[in-house]
Amino acid sequence: MIALVLSLVLTQGYAPLRQGQDPLDSVREQRVQAVGKKLRCAVCQGVSIADSPASMARAQLDKVRELVAEGKSDQEIYDYFVERYGEWALMEPKKSGITLGLWLAPVLLLVLGVLLIISSTKKPVAPVVAATEAPADDYLAKVRADLEK
Amino acid sequence: MKRVVAVIAALSIVGFVIYVMAAGFGSDPHEVPFMMKGKPAPNFIIKRLDKEGQINLADYKGKPVVLNFWATWCVPCKVEQPVLDWAAQTYGDQAVFIGIVFEDTEQNTRSFLQQTGAVYAQVFDPKSTVAVDYAVSGVPETYFINRQGIIVKKYIYPFQSPDQFTEQIKEILE
Repeated sequence: MIALVLSLVLTQGYAPLRQGQDPLDSVREQRVQAVGKKLRCAVCQGVSIADSPASMARAQLDKVRELVAEGKSDQEIYDYFVERYGEWALMEPKKSGITLGLWLAPVLLLVLGVLLIISSTKKPVAPVVAATEAPADDYLAKVRADLEK
Repeated sequence: MKRVVAVIAALSIVGFVIYVMAAGFGSDPHEVPFMMKGKPAPNFIIKRLDKEGQINLADYKGKPVVLNFWATWCVPCKVEQPVLDWAAQTYGDQAVFIGIVFEDTEQNTRSFLQQTGAVYAQVFDPKSTVAVDYAVSGVPETYFINRQGIIVKKYIYPFQSPDQFTEQIKEILE
């Protein structure tokens, strides 16, 4: 099994590179690139379809181009990709649900830490019993009397 | 009382943070979610490579369809080819088998098919538009479409045995 996996990994080939479609007019092409920067390439990790040289990214960018040419809004284009790849398709996932929790978690931890520090510094210091006061405990009084002898 | 409230608040925050971290970091960031399950299979009309003509997916409505995305440069695709050939011969009278060539050149594919022979229909997706419509995230990927034209599941590994394939196709043959 290990040999099979290794052989598959080590001999994995690459798709031949190909050109994307011709760009649209400059205004619409700027939109294509801007939207493409916010969408993640399906076959590469952490790279937008506008920045990836992968053929699949070219194909995804062509889809963006096609949707822009059809007059779709940016949101409709994002929705097209989210419908297929989930929020994984977005380079910057929406700040809602678990994602919002991930953003808030460090802040909450920080707040908790600050509160702990404040509460520990505000604790009243125990008063020091003056050595001259007579101890309430009989045993202690006897010890002190012996020491003073 | 104040102390109890503070402890409960602190425990709630820590619990929430642990839950969020477990949910966020417990999932594989490299795994592309499969969102096409239960959705109608996008239609396509594309050129055949195994013979003249085109394939229109809509023509097969009412029949289960097995759609395999593959490429000549993909080694795992070659590993699973004998299993898919076996499957097409075994289940070919109950389901339609279509191979879609992904991110490859027509010339590469034609010469590959000449050497190996095509047991089932092979089509060419020159600009990967079909792959984008199906949300393909690599090859091989095999989609199982039921008689109603709904995508039931996809299998993202190479089939290594007939049993593996049989297990996957069951649902769309029902």
